[in-house]
Amino acid sequence: MPEPVLSLDHVSKSFGMTHALSDVSMDLHAGEVHAIVGENGAGKSTMIKIMTGIHQPSSGAVRIDGDAVTLAGPQTARDRGVVAIYQEPMVFPDLDVAENIFISSTKEGWFQNRRDLRRKAHALIDRIGMALDVDQVASGLTLAEQQAVEIARALSQDVRVLIMDEPTAALSAHEAAQLRRVARTLAEEGVSVVYISHRLEEVFEIADRVTVIRDGQHISTRPIDETTPDGMIAEMVGREVGNYFEKAPTTATPEVLLGVRDLTLDGTYENISFDLHRGEVLCMAGLIGARRTDVALSLFGIAPATGGTVTYKGAEVRLTTPRQAMDLGIAYVSEDRRKLGLAMEMPIRDNVTLATLSRYQSRAGIIDRAAEAETAEAYRQRLNIRTPDVEIDVGMLSGGNQQKVMLAKWLNMEPELLIFDEPTRGIDIGAKAEVHDLIRDFAAKGGAVLVISSDLPEVLAMGDRILVMREGVQMGILDAADADQEKVMALATGQVRSTAPDAREGEPA
Amino acid sequence: MTRLFLRVSPQALRITGLLFVLCLVVLFFSTQVDNYLNGRLFNRISSSVAIMALIATGQTIVILTRNIDLSVGSVVGFTAFATGSLVTAYPDMGPVPLVLFAMVCGAGFGCINGALVAYARVPSIIVTLATMALFRSALVEFSDAKSITSGSLPQWLVSFPNTKLLTIGQFQLRAGFAVAVVVVVLVHILLSRFRPARRFYAVGSSPEAAEMAGINTRATVFAAFVLAGALAGLAGFMFLARFGNITVVAGLGFELKSVAASVVGGVNIFGGSGTVIGAFLGAILVDLIDTSLVRWQLVSEFWREAVLGALILLSVTVDTLLMRRLFRLRQAQEHEAAKPKPAAAGKVTKEGAA
Repeated sequence: MPEPVLSLDHVSKSFGMTHALSDVSMDLHAGEVHAIVGENGAGKSTMIKIMTGIHQPSSGAVRIDGDAVTLAGPQTARDRGVVAIYQEPMVFPDLDVAENIFISSTKEGWFQNRRDLRRKAHALIDRIGMALDVDQVASGLTLAEQQAVEIARALSQDVRVLIMDEPTAALSAHEAAQLRRVARTLAEEGVSVVYISHRLEEVFEIADRVTVIRDGQHISTRPIDETTPDGMIAEMVGREVGNYFEKAPTTATPEVLLGVRDLTLDGTYENISFDLHRGEVLCMAGLIGARRTDVALSLFGIAPATGGTVTYKGAEVRLTTPRQAMDLGIAYVSEDRRKLGLAMEMPIRDNVTLATLSRYQSRAGIIDRAAEAETAEAYRQRLNIRTPDVEIDVGMLSGGNQQKVMLAKWLNMEPELLIFDEPTRGIDIGAKAEVHDLIRDFAAKGGAVLVISSDLPEVLAMGDRILVMREGVQMGILDAADADQEKVMALATGQVRSTAPDAREGEPA
Repeated sequence: MTRLFLRVSPQALRITGLLFVLCLVVLFFSTQVDNYLNGRLFNRISSSVAIMALIATGQTIVILTRNIDLSVGSVVGFTAFATGSLVTAYPDMGPVPLVLFAMVCGAGFGCINGALVAYARVPSIIVTLATMALFRSALVEFSDAKSITSGSLPQWLVSFPNTKLLTIGQFQLRAGFAVAVVVVVLVHILLSRFRPARRFYAVGSSPEAAEMAGINTRATVFAAFVLAGALAGLAGFMFLARFGNITVVAGLGFELKSVAASVVGGVNIFGGSGTVIGAFLGAILVDLIDTSLVRWQLVSEFWREAVLGALILLSVTVDTLLMRRLFRLRQAQEHEAAKPKPAAAGKVTKEGAA
């Protein structure tokens, strides 16, 4: 076996108390396409960041041609021939294609000769096999073309390891196929291509070897012909579930609160259909790019759907603004606490009443701070927010407590339908269980809950039913009673599509 | 029409638009003001725009990197005074060391701005707002509130800006204007052809992408401020030569005019695009309107500021609307070219598992 181009040698990486990677070893050889697969949060991104010098390993070493190297930053990695391209390409929107390719090249002279530049750019673009006008300004390019520009830039600098991180997640089927051809071509030219994708059929199409990562650990590396999709899925999810989430009894009633039929947002998702009953918790599962949040945003009126119907309490509604959704009793708790959820520099008191401020206003428009404090204090006790009082800034709280404050804000609206996007992301196990109890409690009192979660054990423990999406398509709805991680994952990765009876007739379990 | 509109680069479109507007303005005033369109108009505008063109050129480089330099007016004032004092003390000094002194002096101020913005990471609007006041105070302190008068300056210096290099009828090409044109063209060539200078565009276009592409973004931003300082220093020298009398208010308000000239000239205030030729035309347009309004009897002279404000708003709004339209047209065109295939997912039932 020849010396690997790049290898990770017992690499671990921790961020504070979190172990993102533990003792991962992996070799990359010239001329292979090496796929890395794993669930969301398994540690794939951390691996890439270590290979490209954005992060330094906490222990272990990165080796290039067998020598341990310190990659101080993306530039050092680039100088050694390691380049990554991402789902969102890094191009200069104001510069044209040719210049985008050569902007940081050190091999060109001081003055750029337009004709020379165009000729070289043409040669590189041809090598990738794309049809692209090198004089076009990058802001007008499609995502696939921007990625081609990035690949061409990498090629202009003698790339040896090209890392492609979810490159096809935002591409159409046709563009994705084109990009896979490019990856294959480069590998045949001797480049070592690292390919990260959630689309298993892609992996089987182009990879020579596959590495499975789970919970920051290296699970396996095998040649592609020694593995099967089922086996790969089993390895990706194969953690001990350990029952740290107790399965709560369902409280679902036959009364339909929200009926969704063929909901479509052009170019984003299509034909989503389900019923949500009072007392029910419906979980939406799927991988990155499944477009679950987009469905939620449509139901909350932020990104109105372009097709299909929504009935709420038996009447058809058109949801076009968040205000309207809120007036109907629909609340949406965002997955992004920091940006979209909380005002970090404001105290708990102000955050809790933010969505319902008009209630605390006197006729002259003055806010009754005592009443605010009373409400906030009531939630602090009810949701067990661990602070001495409600005057502390939300930014000072732990993730779990922040999540509770965000929940309090929306509960104070007294919604009947609660849409909760990634309710437990980045919070510790204890707080997770508490948030789960709060959600169950909300349902038990007659509310309906739509939970979006990438945490499979959570989905299985909390959902009465599980709706699985993949790239904007509803793959099926599973009853919690007969769902398991493998079944959900098989749907989420597109290995099967549910053969269960049509969702719209499905009664709650 | 639409086809042509799509093929021409946005910058070429802007320059054409500016030239068109310039002609319109000249035509308009020639119907309003008696004896308007003649050589004297050209001579007057070209003399007064020479200084602003240099400042706007520096300002453009800074704006390209997503920053702004509000201290240029104070830098012009300080260097004008310092250069004047120097030549008063040493009347035998030749033009070359004097110009060098002015530019190095300006570049020194630029270093202070650049270091604070690029390395200390303080937003440029804050840094230069503060240094605008600080440099001005430095001038007051340094000058001891005294003025420089043209009487104390050597004759070659005072007569330099109005030296006629070429006379065609009433039109005179004066040395001051020639210097400005040479500098603008030189910087334009550098910005469009010189590889390290292209980094100003790259950094302003996408700082993240620049970082990932291995461009030293801090050094680039620093260089932009140093260049803007040096050009402001050169403008200070020209200011001294043209006016001779330098007080503590020299160059006051130049910072805003230079920003106006750049923006009217199509330089994107969010960085990444624009040309110094555009900024030069912008400076001419601003100056032309300014000068012409004085002679237009229908409108009070006090409306000059308002007209300048309206011009900035109008040019930026029109530019934004046009560019958005252009972007949409291009997208629509691409959409036509590459119709997405219908998703195949519906057919996938059991694949690869066999």
